[in-house]
Amino acid sequence: MIFIAIVIGCILGAVIGIYAPMVPYTYSGYLAIAIIAALDSVFGGIASTLKKNFDLKIFVTGFFGNAILSILLTYLGQKLNVDIYLAAIVVFVGRMFNNLAIIRRYYLEKWTSKVRKEKESSEQ
Amino acid sequence: MKKIKKNEIFMTIIIGLVTIVLFSVMFMQFKTIEETDITAIENMRETELRTAIAEWKSKYEQTIEQLEANRKSTKEYKEKIEKDEEASDLIDKDLEESNMKLGKTTVYGEGITLTLSNTNEYIIEPFDLIDLFNELRYAGAEAISINDVRVLSSTSVAQPEGSLIVIDGKRLVSPFVIKAIGNPTYLSSNLSLKDSGYIDKNRARGMKISDIEIKRNIEIVKDNNNRDIKYMKEVEE
Repeated sequence: MIFIAIVIGCILGAVIGIYAPMVPYTYSGYLAIAIIAALDSVFGGIASTLKKNFDLKIFVTGFFGNAILSILLTYLGQKLNVDIYLAAIVVFVGRMFNNLAIIRRYYLEKWTSKVRKEKESSEQ
Repeated sequence: MKKIKKNEIFMTIIIGLVTIVLFSVMFMQFKTIEETDITAIENMRETELRTAIAEWKSKYEQTIEQLEANRKSTKEYKEKIEKDEEASDLIDKDLEESNMKLGKTTVYGEGITLTLSNTNEYIIEPFDLIDLFNELRYAGAEAISINDVRVLSSTSVAQPEGSLIVIDGKRLVSPFVIKAIGNPTYLSSNLSLKDSGYIDKNRARGMKISDIEIKRNIEIVKDNNNRDIKYMKEVEE
């Protein structure tokens, strides 16, 4: 059921995004950093689901909070003439890789255990 | 059981919403980036726009300066033209005056006329006429004519034979009608001084002289002689 919601959400989001008005190029930098933050939250959510400690409140607040915070930081960086968004990207992308590693390991372990079980069952 | 299901639905909705937000923002961004390449100018970064504005401003200022300079020079030219016009006006006026003085135009104005004629006792000689012209000029005559021949500074008065008088090559006979433009009072009073005046003096000698007529509007014809310069040349200084 959640998968169906995700698929529908993807399609609806794509449609809305395509027909939404264009963002001025000046603000597209902020939007990009927000997207990175949101993606980080999504991967974090998937990883935590697999670890069985997923919390919806944490996920939603992280999703929006990180996005808004990263936008604010980028804005501040622009005012201070420091590229803070680079630091944000490094952190978010680094965490994304971490979470991807967790997800990969989980499925790899699942797969290997399945293979082992099949072997054991065939041996018996 | 029911609570769990409710929770699940709630979570589904939230996650759906989150994905919608995420994907819509992502696609918006994709679209923006894609279209920015085409319409790069419209979506230039603020700094670029600023530099562009600064450039245009300096260009604008330069143009304004140029315009100002051009205006100034146009003004100068205009003044110059006006001066030239004034000068040419002056020259035209001078020319007109000179032409009038040289007798190249027919002129009119207030003045006097009088008639001299021969009598049996006295035949008019060139000196009498020259004398009269001198008297008239002394009294401020601006233009003089005798029998409708213009008398100028270069006019010759001769008497080849008898009672014939040749003025500027034209043969004239008595009576001589003399016209003069000038202040009529001066002219007439100068000529009619008692005893020592031209009229009294010559009447005493037997010449017939009519009374002076003062007229408001005398017309004196222009000089008809050819006065081309053939021999004299200007000395260059």
